[in-house]
Amino acid sequence: MPETFTIHYFATASQYTSKNTESLPAPLKLSALFGELEQRYPGIVQKVLSTCGVSLNGEYVDVEEDGEVVIQAGGEVAVIPPVSSG
Amino acid sequence: MSSSEQTQLPAHLDPKTYPRTHHDATQNIHITLTYDTLDANTYLSQTSSPAAGANILFLGTTRDTFEGRSVSQLSYTTYPPLALKTLAGIAEAAVKTHRLEGVSIAHRLGTVPIGEASIVIAVSAGHRGAAWRAGEEVLEACKEKAEIWKREEFVDGGMEWRANADRDAEGKVLGTGAV
Repeated sequence: MPETFTIHYFATASQYTSKNTESLPAPLKLSALFGELEQRYPGIVQKVLSTCGVSLNGEYVDVEEDGEVVIQAGGEVAVIPPVSSG
Repeated sequence: MSSSEQTQLPAHLDPKTYPRTHHDATQNIHITLTYDTLDANTYLSQTSSPAAGANILFLGTTRDTFEGRSVSQLSYTTYPPLALKTLAGIAEAAVKTHRLEGVSIAHRLGTVPIGEASIVIAVSAGHRGAAWRAGEEVLEACKEKAEIWKREEFVDGGMEWRANADRDAEGKVLGTGAV
């Protein structure tokens, strides 16, 4: 069985992907995450991800500055669109 | 990838895994994420203290219109690993800045019928000035940072995910590019 990490989508990101969550092949460098998603969901980088934050295992990361960080098998990524509580 | 994996609800979207809470007894901080109705008295009593002379309770309730369009239903989702940490951080900062005796932040999830509370904030302090200021500050910080999302469904069809960064505390639209 291939190794995977989990990625969760919320709000506009879940609307765009039509998914709440899915498994993607691991390991994957953070710098390659948006490219991977663009391939699966053409247009997502410009329309959605450009305004989203990203967390890895419960901590915010910067996909560019932390680009060398590797998402390991079993890891948990979340795409965090602009929030709207209250 | 199996189809069951695709359809399985992740834990953070499963109401059965709630309420999720964070409690810090030393600072009298209470954080609650729940699919249940929010009872104002519950959260007000969490922050009560013999040292407090001022107790502020804020209820944010769901509105039936957005820009003149009738809203039929609202619902909220969250990502607790981040939201609990963010809300705890907001509460801790308020306790420190305003020397509060207690803070409680509760947010409701899932469908919230029009007119019911989606967020409750209770703060207590020695004196009213600090309590008023802290109440507003905590609310604004929640709206800016808490990893919770609102979806509005309209009577005329369609639905939209809202973003708080688009509007200020008076409900006025902020210029594009403003964050």
